[in-house]
Amino acid sequence: MTTIRCHKCHQRAVIRMRQHRLALCKDHYPQWFIEQTQRFIEKYQMFTPQDRILVAVSGGKDSLALWDVLWQLGYDAEGFYINLGIDGEKLYSDQSEQAAQKFADERHLKLHIYRVEEQRGESVPAIALRTHRGRQKPCAVCGLIKRHTMNQMARQLGFNVLATAHNLDDEVSFLFGNLLSWNLRQIPRQSPVLEAEEGFIRKVKPFIRFSERETAAYSIVRGIEYIEDECPFAEGSKQLQYKELLNRLEEQQPGVKLRFLLGFFNAMQQGFIQPIEDEQGEVILSPCPSCGQPTSTGGLCATCRLFEEDHR
Amino acid sequence: MPVILIYRKQKLEVEGTLTVREALQQLGLSPESHLIVRKGELLNDNDVLRNGEEVKVISAISGGAL
Repeated sequence: MTTIRCHKCHQRAVIRMRQHRLALCKDHYPQWFIEQTQRFIEKYQMFTPQDRILVAVSGGKDSLALWDVLWQLGYDAEGFYINLGIDGEKLYSDQSEQAAQKFADERHLKLHIYRVEEQRGESVPAIALRTHRGRQKPCAVCGLIKRHTMNQMARQLGFNVLATAHNLDDEVSFLFGNLLSWNLRQIPRQSPVLEAEEGFIRKVKPFIRFSERETAAYSIVRGIEYIEDECPFAEGSKQLQYKELLNRLEEQQPGVKLRFLLGFFNAMQQGFIQPIEDEQGEVILSPCPSCGQPTSTGGLCATCRLFEEDHR
Repeated sequence: MPVILIYRKQKLEVEGTLTVREALQQLGLSPESHLIVRKGELLNDNDVLRNGEEVKVISAISGGAL
């Protein structure tokens, strides 16, 4: 078998990316990865060096890689970790928090921590159990609380951009799932940038064109110590099934995931896919009387409703 | 002695000599979502695994809501 060599210096390559027809060594791969991230930030006009960026970190490979890249590019980026109180066999949330804190300390970066149990009096799995949301899994409640808290804290702390490490596999599996169920309301909302609206911070996804294989390779080559274990509730999720399926397709058709996503963005840009207007016309947002965050319910927002008296 | 692959804290075995891509395929793991590391060093698809050595398989896929 022929040794794969770096296309730039002919050293032994650590990764071959068949979709890009590119192989790179341990020195050139991180350099390429950082340059590509900057290219995506500029292409989608995500942010500039003048912006204050809050990076949502989970202690996993993607989010720590994102924070590492933004740090190396010199952006004003601080981290935000939400401790969800998921313990499993190995205190999953606490170990993830430790990994994120260690990463921040080693680079002298600021990490903001929000512990759900301290702030709300109960963990995310406990909230899900009490409110009977989800089928034995707290994922829906978890997503709701995370989105709510990230938006609230980013604004309170004075940031104007929230960066998440959603990658190509996250995006194509999400799009694929929405197409399978013809979720026509959700599909047009998928984008590399979600512009700021009244009460909502600007959200960006700088890793949207990297596969998970590429972000994992970056973290390994850079020696980033991340939590390898999966969230104990993720096992068997539909999203993981879609990812597995799409990767089997990628094996046979290199580049198919990227073409799927870019084709979708292109169709959106050309106006072939349009957001659906509600029958009542434009959605009217008003501040939640409890937390002040915008909501379309006219009363308490979905997150604050989880803590209403009749749920207790 | 076969090649030992540590995957999710389990010890798996394949008979060498074979490439990283072949080893993953033999284990039914997609090379698009798994990487192999030898003594901290990332291996590429064509790097060769030999009998008697121990390597680590890393799953690149993670779940979670958008």
